[in-house]
Amino acid sequence: MADKGYLPKEKIKEFVEALGKDATVFAPCLEGDTIIFRQYTPDKEISLDRPANTPPKGAIYPQCETLLSFEFKKEADNPQKMDVELKVNTDFPKAVVFGGRPCDARGFTVIDRVFIDTDTADPYYKKRRENTTIVTKCCNGPVAGCFCVGVGGGPAVTEGSDVVMTEVDGGYYLEAVTDKGKAVMSLPMIQDGASYEAKAKAANEKATAAVRNPFPEGADKISAELFDSGDFWGNVIEKCLSCGACTFLCPTCYCFNITDEQAITTGDRIRSWDSCMFQHFTLETSGHNPRPAKHKRFRNRVGHKFYYYPEKYDGAIACTGCGRCIRYCPVSVDISEIVGYLRDPKADPKAWAAKKEDAKN
Amino acid sequence: MSTQKLKEIIKQVLPDVEAVICWQEGFDKLNVTPIFITSPEQAEKVVWNPLCAQNLASYLPSQKKKVAVAVKGCDSRTIVQYMQEGLIDRNNVVIIGIPCKGIISKKKVQKAIGNEPVEDVSFTEGSVKVKTPSGEKTFAIADVCPSKCTSCQYPTPIVYDQLTADPIQSDKPAESVYADVAELEGKTLEERKAYFLSQFDKCIRCYACRNACPMCVCQDSCIAETRDPHWITQKLSLDEKLMFHMIHALHLAGRCVECGECERVCPMEIPVAKLKKKINKEMKELFDYIPGVNPEDKPPMYIFNVDEAKIKEHKL
Amino acid sequence: MTGNQNPYLPELATVTKVIEETPNIKSFQVVFNDAEKMKNFTFEPGQVGQLSVFGVGESTFVINSPPTRMEYLQFSVMKAGEVTTALHGIYEGDVIGVRAPLGNWFPYNDMKGKNILFIGGGIGLAPLRTLILYMLDNRADYKDITIIYGSRTPPDLCYKDELKEWEERSDVNLILTVDNEFPGWTKRTGFVPTVLKEEAPKADDTIAITCGPPIMIKFVLEGLAELKFPEENIITTLEARMKCGIGLCGRCNLGHKYICKDGPVFSLKQLKELPSDE
Ligand SMILES: Cc1cc2nc3c(=O)[nH]c(=O)nc-3n(C[C@H](O)[C@H](O)[C@H](O)COP(=O)(O)OP(=O)(O)OC[C@H]3O[C@@H](n4cnc5c(N)ncnc54)[C@H](O)[C@@H]3O)c2cc1C
Ligand code: SF4
Ligand code: SF4
Ligand code: SF4
Ligand code: SF4
Ligand code: SF4
Ligand code: FES
Repeated sequence: MADKGYLPKEKIKEFVEALGKDATVFAPCLEGDTIIFRQYTPDKEISLDRPANTPPKGAIYPQCETLLSFEFKKEADNPQKMDVELKVNTDFPKAVVFGGRPCDARGFTVIDRVFIDTDTADPYYKKRRENTTIVTKCCNGPVAGCFCVGVGGGPAVTEGSDVVMTEVDGGYYLEAVTDKGKAVMSLPMIQDGASYEAKAKAANEKATAAVRNPFPEGADKISAELFDSGDFWGNVIEKCLSCGACTFLCPTCYCFNITDEQAITTGDRIRSWDSCMFQHFTLETSGHNPRPAKHKRFRNRVGHKFYYYPEKYDGAIACTGCGRCIRYCPVSVDISEIVGYLRDPKADPKAWAAKKEDAKN
Repeated sequence: MSTQKLKEIIKQVLPDVEAVICWQEGFDKLNVTPIFITSPEQAEKVVWNPLCAQNLASYLPSQKKKVAVAVKGCDSRTIVQYMQEGLIDRNNVVIIGIPCKGIISKKKVQKAIGNEPVEDVSFTEGSVKVKTPSGEKTFAIADVCPSKCTSCQYPTPIVYDQLTADPIQSDKPAESVYADVAELEGKTLEERKAYFLSQFDKCIRCYACRNACPMCVCQDSCIAETRDPHWITQKLSLDEKLMFHMIHALHLAGRCVECGECERVCPMEIPVAKLKKKINKEMKELFDYIPGVNPEDKPPMYIFNVDEAKIKEHKL
Repeated sequence: MTGNQNPYLPELATVTKVIEETPNIKSFQVVFNDAEKMKNFTFEPGQVGQLSVFGVGESTFVINSPPTRMEYLQFSVMKAGEVTTALHGIYEGDVIGVRAPLGNWFPYNDMKGKNILFIGGGIGLAPLRTLILYMLDNRADYKDITIIYGSRTPPDLCYKDELKEWEERSDVNLILTVDNEFPGWTKRTGFVPTVLKEEAPKADDTIAITCGPPIMIKFVLEGLAELKFPEENIITTLEARMKCGIGLCGRCNLGHKYICKDGPVFSLKQLKELPSDE
């Protein structure tokens, strides 16, 4: 099997349909002005023009999924007594994530460390992840907010992908990254790609150079002192609305809720995305809340991505710089700006205290 | 220009207030972001231009101390509604009013420039010039404004303590306000249903629309997430999404100040304000009430009358 | 876990006994429906379980019976919200779900040969109970055992029969207190931290283990500091809102540690090294 190939643009649909022969394909589909990852069906219009509004995270880690179903059953000889029967389904079809971006694919590797590389691995995520082939489109250049190169990524990095495709000469140069990816390359519409390799490389270099890096060279350590400063957080995050946009759009956020949803004698225990930006995420029944204020919640989000997670996983950052949280934040909060302050070697909590005496809620 | 005047006013009111809420340049030239000004130096960062879409009045109910806030004409309706509903103490707010000739929808501009990164943005009377790596493009503001501006009746704030420029009058006919709703009403029920379902199907339940809504008062206790009552599950089905949006819309009946924030902030580009506008139109027809225009009014859903002039069925 | 590949899948278990401990606390003794699993089940003192009332949800409770007594697992549940209220409606013979054991445990081996000081308030005796019973079952391994336990009123004291037993034992020093005077109560009154100060136990060669309401813990920790207990000899179990119990759902973190998986048992020394939200 070749590991380099070329796909003319007009064969995209054919390619996606071939990928869908024995698998469910999730592709960025245009609906109105929105691009959403949807299960591909021929009536849908795929768009690779810009990164999708949502990352493809939901293809492997659905926003809502059933962990188990339960059914109450009366015992035949003792109608007073109820038995419970539990059912679990992890029999997921093969899937392909088509047309995500390198930051999206890298997002899965962030979740892998938490959900797979542990003694209590998540069987749903793990199974879907194993079953999924990721065919990624390299970016021609950044869109508003992107900063992948600042967090070890880039518009052409292959981490997390099985195949990467680069736009060249009215088509795409394809490169297999893994064995799963090589299998894709044997599809009949894939032509020989060797002659496009140099051009693709040049395109990728150009794209990489165009992405901003918000963090100056060497500024990669969070100032613990500034991180602990309530004044700092009060200042930078007073405008936040505590919504879930930044976390729900993030390719690496994985926090979830578990709830039982019952209908008379049957029901499901479901898990659904949750967000550390929500007030009730940590609210205890007693009314005690370790993170009652939005600046504490925001500190957790930034801390988790740039401080706690790296501490736990050998320095790996839990942000791939996709820029969605910046682009779509209702009040244009810029996480890269905030991390920039925290990483500034000259970071000084006093500079923030002077501006405001009282960090409000 | 009025930015200069705005800065002057801010510096003047700053000693009296805990903070002045205004806009500053955001992460790129096409974005502004709110700033809570507490020092005269910060006042220098302030911007006023058609990118200043965020309705800053929304921050008022959560402020514990006296603050000043910069508002456009449409934003001032939020304050008027807060006054009607007793959600703020007017004495604790200094309103800096900005007469506004229309703002820009960032989404519309981004679409028009093919989502390229923006290098620079500049304004001349009535138009905006956007520079991207592939060149410059100029748009008439009227072509890239949110729909609320095309029928704006209140370009000058309804309530204010200071104005940054001379008041301006609306040149838009009053009938234009509900033109988009009329268009919707022209469709069959089935068509309307299909339209809303296809829109809400994109919802990811991030609740940005709810949290950005100035009149959404429950916020953290929203029934979309409570277990008691357990009206809405955490499933991602269209039913649940629709239920959430219907409830948001109904809770805004006769309260929605038509600021358009819910729609502006939706990351999935769902026209969330449309339902609310439709309900507002009904409320106007039933109760002769327009939210957020007169501080002395009471929202119709706050009042109970045994007889309602236009609701015949209710005659006892 | 109970040998399940799927860490979310509870083991079905039958409630064999319900004990009304206080007006708002009930203890449940449960046995897995699968006898084989019950036989092979092991856990350590301090580990917790997630109890399911299907259709309502799951909540976290410490296994408060000791691993030395494996006829059943006991959980004590204070009525608080949705799941705990549903649990209070459970009768003997009813089937619930159990995911256990979860989390870490008390370092009881490191405590061997030392004096042990337990300080508990209200339902906070539950996690201490498992360790107390474990130590009583291995009494020779430990030196003096002192228990300071208090609640609002006498009826709010948990495990009343056991308290009587411990009181009668010569190898346990039990000090009971309630917040205020109460008809018929002849023992001490006053808040637990105050009683701790009055008793002033020696810090030498002593491990202090405390659990109770956050406010009690706060003052107990201050009291222990005054008594010169080194931070590594003060052990507490933490609480946080929980869902998964396996370090995945993200809500129970203190910095990069997850209370459900890296905890709930921490020494004060460990806690001081973590970023706190407080
Ligand atoms: C490690 C640990 C051990 C515990 N041991 C005991 C015990 O032995 N006995 C006892 O009575 N209580 C114990 N608790 C507290 C108990 O878990 C909560 O009181 C209970 O979860 C409340 O659930 P609810 O459904 O009734 O309340 P709701 O308000 O309906 O809670 C909704 C959900 O939030 C979560 N939640 C809310 N508060 C807490 C909390 N404090 N801790 C964990 N999850 C919470 C649960 O998932 C719960 O299902 C323990 C908590 C922890 C963290
Ligand atoms: S940072 Fe922005 S997107 Fe995130 S919660 Fe705050 S307002 Fe919402
Ligand atoms: S934190 Fe923001 S920029 Fe980073 S991966 Fe998440 S959404 Fe993208
Ligand atoms: S803790 Fe917050 S930032 Fe981290 S994964 Fe969870 S929701 Fe995302
Ligand atoms: S519903 Fe939308 S338009 Fe109406 S007040 Fe709320 S945010 Fe503004
Ligand atoms: S902002 Fe948009 S996606 Fe988010 S909940 Fe509202 S309608 Fe849904
Ligand atoms: S309860 Fe889910 S991470 Fe701790």
